[in-house]
Amino acid sequence: MKRIVGLTMVLAAALAFAQQGPLVVIQGAEPRTLSPDFAADTGGYGPTSNVYCHLVTMDWGVAAGTGAYGDLARSWEVNEDGTVYTFHLYEGVTWHDGMPVTAADVKFTFDTIIEKNYPYAAYLDGVVEVQAPDDYTVVLVLDQPNASLVPMMAQGSVWTGKIYPKHLWEDQDGFDSGPYVNDPVGCGPFEFVEWVRGSHVELKAYENYHRGAPAIPGLIFRAVTDANVARAEFDAGNIVFLPYDYAPPYAEAPLLERDPSIQVVHTPSHYSRDIQFNLRREPLNDIRVRQAIAYAIDREAISRLGFSGYWEPAYHANVNSQEPWINRNVSFPSFDAAKANQLLDEAGYPRGADGWRFSLSVTGPTYSDCRAIVEVLVQQLRAVGINAVWDQYDQATWFTNMQQGNFDISCYFTRYGPDPSAYDEHFSTGGPRNFMGYSNPELDQLAELGKRTTNEEERKRIYDRIQEILVEDLPYINLFNEEKMSLIRAGWQGFNIQETGYNKSMTWFGFYAVEPPSQ
Amino acid sequence: MRLPQYTLFRLLQLIPLVLVVIVINFVLIQLAPGDVAITLAGEDADPQYMEHIRRQYGLDSPVPVQLLRYLGQVIRGDLGASFRSREPVLHELMSRIPATLLLVVTSLIIAVFVGTWLGTLAARRPGSFFDIAANTVSIALYSVPLFWLGLMLILVFGVKLGWLPISGMRKIAGPREGIGYYLDVLKHMVLPVLTLSVAYMGQYVRLARSSVESVMNEDYITTVRAVGFPKRIIFMRYALRNALLPVVTVFGLQIGLALTGAVLTETVFTWPGLGRLVYEGILARDTPLIMGSYILMSVCVAIASLLTDLCYALLDPRVKL
Repeated sequence: MKRIVGLTMVLAAALAFAQQGPLVVIQGAEPRTLSPDFAADTGGYGPTSNVYCHLVTMDWGVAAGTGAYGDLARSWEVNEDGTVYTFHLYEGVTWHDGMPVTAADVKFTFDTIIEKNYPYAAYLDGVVEVQAPDDYTVVLVLDQPNASLVPMMAQGSVWTGKIYPKHLWEDQDGFDSGPYVNDPVGCGPFEFVEWVRGSHVELKAYENYHRGAPAIPGLIFRAVTDANVARAEFDAGNIVFLPYDYAPPYAEAPLLERDPSIQVVHTPSHYSRDIQFNLRREPLNDIRVRQAIAYAIDREAISRLGFSGYWEPAYHANVNSQEPWINRNVSFPSFDAAKANQLLDEAGYPRGADGWRFSLSVTGPTYSDCRAIVEVLVQQLRAVGINAVWDQYDQATWFTNMQQGNFDISCYFTRYGPDPSAYDEHFSTGGPRNFMGYSNPELDQLAELGKRTTNEEERKRIYDRIQEILVEDLPYINLFNEEKMSLIRAGWQGFNIQETGYNKSMTWFGFYAVEPPSQ
Repeated sequence: MRLPQYTLFRLLQLIPLVLVVIVINFVLIQLAPGDVAITLAGEDADPQYMEHIRRQYGLDSPVPVQLLRYLGQVIRGDLGASFRSREPVLHELMSRIPATLLLVVTSLIIAVFVGTWLGTLAARRPGSFFDIAANTVSIALYSVPLFWLGLMLILVFGVKLGWLPISGMRKIAGPREGIGYYLDVLKHMVLPVLTLSVAYMGQYVRLARSSVESVMNEDYITTVRAVGFPKRIIFMRYALRNALLPVVTVFGLQIGLALTGAVLTETVFTWPGLGRLVYEGILARDTPLIMGSYILMSVCVAIASLLTDLCYALLDPRVKL
């Protein structure tokens, strides 16, 4: 009798596993195309990150200190002066059509990216030559040392820089034309099945994946625009994973945490939430005004009101996940309304008859966390006599405004990792993400030096000094360590935002490590 | 004017109309902030690459030149290729029309028949409980925001009761053909169709009620009453036909707007129709797609209003074309 019961249980478990269909993943937009390397495509990152593979990559393990890990690359080394990077590839990796993946594919992909100036070219900073001396060795030759090359390649691989099969693409004029744009053949953990426009993209597990077949039979990516609908799908049990883009309000978090059928996952990142000043505008070009604003901000109150206390205030010019690089000796001012008022009076902006000192607008990206921050921040500025108003735009308009310097104060998301050279793009004169109009020659020099120096201690000194300068100059004010809240049904493990998925998810959009609840 | 001539004349009027639609909308899109090169290349893209994209899509020339180029293209019958997907715009639009038509036409037909029927019933018993209830409910339904109504229906029927699918047009792993497929689509249609038809319906209830009521007070009705016709005959043969004229007008206008009218419903229910395509196109600053959809919509509205006028002539012998 026992044996029959046992056998039945085993059979039932096997049956349940066999019935486990593909994992349905929802995302904000439909893909533009399924060719990831020629343009930005928020809807395409999910499908392509799982179909294609990368030379090196990273995932949310970056928040726990992993700057980069190999996907196709088994290992890599750099020569003494930091100008030649040699990558050794795994052998026996195959494309989904069965052909072997070799160094020639990597060379072909990177050569095309550099030649066409595709987005990933920015992450191959300084690479002047890509060599493939044998089938399993790729050599990147740089014109000058770049200590951040591998972490930055990993960072970029999250979105783009996926490796393309040379044998299928070499006759095409770039990665935006030909039969494989929307019929991708990759070497990642999932194979492309079909894309039903307006509905979904379906992938199935690639049994010959070089790290072993995924534990889930397939993936389905569906575009769901409305966060309420996404939540309804989760509540109805139609999806097991509610990504942070659809996160419920933080006020609900304590309640959700008591529900045993749900895992509330909080994932740290290497970004902050902060405010940037437009230093070209009066009165924000006055350091005393910026100091006053720094004193006027009560991070604890913002966290309490906007994030139910879940977001940890950040007072240093860095975030917790970049622990080795934080300069804890310098910090931004903490809340002191009296001091703020005093500084504003001294700066020559006394309260007028109507109670206001001056007016300004506060804006930000469409992220729900920035909205939560700005909503409270505006009130805190008004409390010290600054007539602040909240200007809201869609993401594209906001970004154009930032680029054109058409803002006063904006909520922003400064990046600090996977390599500290990130300061360069945000704070160097003319840096691609320096929207503030900030310029400090000493910082410019240090940022350049930091990228070119390979000695870790020397780099630590450089980035410590950069943080001192930032806290002194206040072109921006750090407010919070970014943290993402997602919901997953109980028992599921290995999602990219879970620790069990760190360093094996294959990008922020990868689902290779996902494992269903044990039967 | 004879019918064929009239129709031809009206169709010719379409040309200046579409021209005006193109010029105004093209300029409006250019005035809107946001840069398509950023949405295409990504926020971190190299400025050189952005320049390349602008050149590739002809965005580096002055707006009047771009407009003329676009007009030339449209005259040749080419709506261009979508910035986002690089697929021909006409193909993209056509592939989404069936889903939208299925949703909107079904909802409209339900709304017209049920709404008119309820409105007529209410008009025949003015001041009754039914009349007041129909009136109140229809005003309430007409005023409810579509997305809210949609979400409430989702919460009740999709989440709490679990009877109906929440979003999409079909079950992804479900049947692809045969009766199973149609039943699956039908099941997915229930909530969005209910949302849309309930919203449309309020209008028809009110319209039919007031129209029937005013016709019933006309002198000719009093005359046929005096002659002694039975109530049912008076109503069906003499009153209803006249009372339905305004309903036809509104229906005609709404059918014309059908392709556009479901953006919110399609977005809430993730329905793979035209409305959602346009919504995504607008967010991505996909000028060819947005322009193409505007042209399509204006042509549809014009043709629907032509058909309405023709129907009018059939229903009301006094109307001369």
